[in-house]
Amino acid sequence: MSEKKKVLAFMCERSVEINETDLQNISDVGVIKFPCSGMIQPLMIEAALKAGACGVVVTGCQLGDCFYREGNKLLKERLLGERPPGLKKTVDRRRVLGLWLSKLQKSRFIDDTKEFTNFVTSLK
Amino acid sequence: MYQEILKLLNFGTLEIEKIVNKITTHKYNPFYYHGALPQFYLWVLYLSGLLLFAYYIPTVDNAYLSKSLVNAWTSVDYITKTLPFGAIFRGMHRYAGDAMVITIILHMIRVWFTDRYRQYRWVQWTSGILLFVLVLFIGQTGYYLVWDDRSLGLTRMTVTSLAWLPIIGQPLKHWFLNGDLISNLTMSNFLFIHIGLSFSLLFFLWIHYVRMTRPVLTPPPAINYILVALVLLVVFLCPINSGQMANLNHQPTTFDIDWFFLFPYWLMAKVSLLSYWLIMFLGVGALTIIPWFIRTKPVEAAEVVTNKCTGCSLCYRDCPWQAIEMVVAPANSRFKLLATVKPYRCTGCGVCVGACAFDAIDVPNLPDAQVLDQIKGLVSAS
Repeated sequence: MSEKKKVLAFMCERSVEINETDLQNISDVGVIKFPCSGMIQPLMIEAALKAGACGVVVTGCQLGDCFYREGNKLLKERLLGERPPGLKKTVDRRRVLGLWLSKLQKSRFIDDTKEFTNFVTSLK
Repeated sequence: MYQEILKLLNFGTLEIEKIVNKITTHKYNPFYYHGALPQFYLWVLYLSGLLLFAYYIPTVDNAYLSKSLVNAWTSVDYITKTLPFGAIFRGMHRYAGDAMVITIILHMIRVWFTDRYRQYRWVQWTSGILLFVLVLFIGQTGYYLVWDDRSLGLTRMTVTSLAWLPIIGQPLKHWFLNGDLISNLTMSNFLFIHIGLSFSLLFFLWIHYVRMTRPVLTPPPAINYILVALVLLVVFLCPINSGQMANLNHQPTTFDIDWFFLFPYWLMAKVSLLSYWLIMFLGVGALTIIPWFIRTKPVEAAEVVTNKCTGCSLCYRDCPWQAIEMVVAPANSRFKLLATVKPYRCTGCGVCVGACAFDAIDVPNLPDAQVLDQIKGLVSAS
């Protein structure tokens, strides 16, 4: 807990696995792990943005392949406003990124997160 | 050791699926419909079976070889040679059965390798094994119905193996033959077993699906067309022919084997009946207890915060495990309904937490408040 994180990543435990060295690689990103991406409440994303995070990355399993059957699909629908509860209208949609990746796609997670971090920090 | 191998296999499965995803996109990746594939073939089997049933005559009569002889074999012969598209439907019925066994095995292997068969999924696994055994047995009875040489051989082998069993052997034999000898009644019994058990599959499928919300029962149409096309391709490449009509005075010695259904008979011919039954029972038993090989501590079920729950039933609708039930709220509540968790079904995935707009349900491992603390800690730490 040394420096302030600009971007938070809400990560499904069954999706991409991140170790210490990867974390140093993306030092602007703070990681919170969830048993399933379906557990992530839109409220939590709102809370993160309200607390001062520039953006939120959400990772779930590859679509169609949720370990808990439907978590990633439900979260995706919630974020897109197709299923209650959704994000508030005031939430800047550019600051939320959903990544649906299997365990093997760590490099893609890191690349996309870096790009997203650069993007959201340049906003305003 | 076992778990490490499984982990490797899991990565292998994911790698294959990643490649397939690049070709088909996740929406049309057949691996993501692995459970729906055998279910689709079941519908194909029901429909093609209905047509065969309309023309099938369950008798073994062959006491005289006149031109007007009507029995199971001649009716199948009529279906194959005279009935328009009969051969195609018969072929589809045969090969869709094989395809169903292949897809069931794929389904089984995938849930095994991706660790989706144990703990809260034991009901699905054990009912799945039961379904698999039933499908194999139904498939075998299908081979008796044709009433060619092979049918006679298989029937006699089955009778021998059943009669060998202590105590229940003779009654089983009697039930199987519908009497003491192979007769017309035997054939109607076979037909009844074949069709009756096929419909009992639906009951066990209900058990298979009962703990799942929105089970994936049907692949997208594009996959369905390919599944049917694959079966049709095999039907045209390897058309089906019956052997000679069964002759009760003659004992068939060799016949072709359909490896998907008839492998037990191959085994029966190789080993003694004692070892045959031992292998069968132990094999099925071992498959059934696979979910308990790995010991894990029980799941801590989600808990409803009773005074916050508004009875909106969002969690009830979203729970993928049918683990939440809406009950009538207590008399002092402001609301009509209250969510309750069935702990024996809960997987601790937290989808209900994500569905709740009132923070009224919590997973003991990671309560909402803790998540919010973490968020604040990470964002505002200095």
